[in-house]
Amino acid sequence: MNILEIRNLTKKFGDFVAVDNMSLSVREGEIFGFLGANGAGKSTTISMIATLLRSTKGDINLLGKSITSHGKFAKTNIGIVPQDIAIYENMTAYENVRFFAGLYGLRGALLQERTEEALEFVGLGDKHKSYPKNFSGGMKRRLNIACAIAHRPKLIIMDEPTVGIDPHSRNYILNSVKKLNEMGCTIIYTSHYMEEVEEICTRIAIVDHGKIIAEGTKEQLKAIITDTKDIWIGIKANESLSIEHLKQIPGVIAVRLEENTVKINSKGEINNLNKIVQQLIKDQIEIRSVEEQAPNLETVFLTLTGRNLRD
Amino acid sequence: MNILNIAIKEIKAALREKGTFVFMLAFPVILMLILGTALTNVFSSNTPVGNIELLYKNEAASPQLTQYWQGFAKAIEQEGVKITPLAAGTDGKLEISEDRYSAYAELSNEGITYYGSSKQTIESNILQGMLTTFADRYNMAAAALKSDPSKAEAIIRNASAPGEYIRETALNPDKQPGSIDYYAMAMTTMIALYSALSGTFLFRGERIRNTALRLMAAPVSKGEIFAGKVIGCTLINLLCVLAVVLISKFAFQADWGNHFGMVFLILVTEVILAVSLGLGLSYILKGDTSRSVVMIFLQIASFVGGAYFPIMGTDSFLGFVTNLSPLRWANKALAQIIYNDNVAGALPAIGLNVGIAAAFLLIAIISMRRQEAL
Repeated sequence: MNILEIRNLTKKFGDFVAVDNMSLSVREGEIFGFLGANGAGKSTTISMIATLLRSTKGDINLLGKSITSHGKFAKTNIGIVPQDIAIYENMTAYENVRFFAGLYGLRGALLQERTEEALEFVGLGDKHKSYPKNFSGGMKRRLNIACAIAHRPKLIIMDEPTVGIDPHSRNYILNSVKKLNEMGCTIIYTSHYMEEVEEICTRIAIVDHGKIIAEGTKEQLKAIITDTKDIWIGIKANESLSIEHLKQIPGVIAVRLEENTVKINSKGEINNLNKIVQQLIKDQIEIRSVEEQAPNLETVFLTLTGRNLRD
Repeated sequence: MNILNIAIKEIKAALREKGTFVFMLAFPVILMLILGTALTNVFSSNTPVGNIELLYKNEAASPQLTQYWQGFAKAIEQEGVKITPLAAGTDGKLEISEDRYSAYAELSNEGITYYGSSKQTIESNILQGMLTTFADRYNMAAAALKSDPSKAEAIIRNASAPGEYIRETALNPDKQPGSIDYYAMAMTTMIALYSALSGTFLFRGERIRNTALRLMAAPVSKGEIFAGKVIGCTLINLLCVLAVVLISKFAFQADWGNHFGMVFLILVTEVILAVSLGLGLSYILKGDTSRSVVMIFLQIASFVGGAYFPIMGTDSFLGFVTNLSPLRWANKALAQIIYNDNVAGALPAIGLNVGIAAAFLLIAIISMRRQEAL
């Protein structure tokens, strides 16, 4: 059963079309990944699902009910974890969660129970009397999640919940997402970290220029790009590297440099490895290693959109 | 219930903003103490009167006049006037010009010649008044003597009755503010107006903290969020204002009159006006501009509204400007209630406060309804 159905959704800001006739379904119990570069339209879409923005055109149905005519029903069943931390620094962790949960109609003993439960869930049970101003970035992110789940929403929207935090907190959050999913929550998850999406999402949509350009499981997405390959070349130093020279080699689609690794995306049917190596030698680059990569989501994204996710 | 939750959250969060809270309490109390102590004399209505000394020379041949003069001298001596006859060989006018006496009077059959000291004007004027009364009474007695000598005798006998020549009449009302009283009132109304600053930050703060998004995502209407936040903000500012009133009353013994309910009503409406003003401006002027504009307005309104020194009624352009300050009309209304027991005098200020607050609240509500976010 679909928990969320989006049909022909459009959002315009003046002449700018942020979301362009988008249609999408999210099934109950999924962790649905939403991938897109900055300005692709994913935050606008998320805001419309969370009833924060009105659509210019199109419908969004949550559990079979239109969110336009059943706004309160939609809000009650959605929990949103915003990208920017949204908590009160001068209220304790407990007060923050309790206040926001209270807005969803929880009262008395139930409110207290759910507040404590949410704090325990994100690992802040022992910090309930502490003020967030004394928290680390990771703890604030976890509190940000607790504020969104205390009312037990059916659909949780997580917009970049792991930005700028330490690996320990990131793992904690990713495990929490999986656990929430096991508990029956459907999750829409956006992230710049491709490996996170690959690790936890059951289905993924790639958004570009306000449109969904690909949708499916990670295996289905990877299968789209059998006609390209990734070549990673480890080099000693990159001072004399010319990306432009490499791009001129027949078959090369995109070249990017990550520390001392040159990552080349090339057409699968053209054998150009020798020419690439010769060009690097000509540019006086000392080669350390050469390996051909199996396609991953990053490659898929790059192939479909022509740009990196972090662009 | 949501309104109450949001209002309580607002109060709780504000109470923990120690900086703001200290500013709202310590600033007016310290200013009240400094200005109230430093400017004590400005508010004093007493003018000290020094020793009144009359030098006189009696050259009158008439026994009635001499008798009447002696009665007069006795009466005014009882009132504290020192009377000294001119010593032989002394020049009375010279004594006056050298400021040794308040006045010099020469009595003769032709009348009284009076010389007052230009250096002791108040004392000299008092003596002149006494002597004028003396002359009028004597003329009346002289006229009566011709028609009814018995009545003339009575007038002359009464010449020494105390209190006949000096009568105190108060032109000022019984109650007038002392410096502490004035600054207690002025600082309280000033800090009430400073609530406008919290008004400017009421929704902007939620946007900066990103919590506006959470509030909007919750099943709570914009109206409930608006009402809860405005009520919470008003209550917390009112609490600060009342704390200033209580500190001034019990620590500095400031006079707040006998109509505390009306005083409270003026302060409540002023806080509502200030919060609404700040809130309305935060929607009219985006970003930090509203805060800067409100800050400038508060400074000017405080200055011309009499927060730092009393503003007297003027008909000039300045007078017009001072009347535009909410502080001015609040202070005038409070003075009417406290010092003239004129409760009705507060109604124009209450009406203005409520009317302007309603206009700014309306601006905020319309702006909020038009935009999708808070």
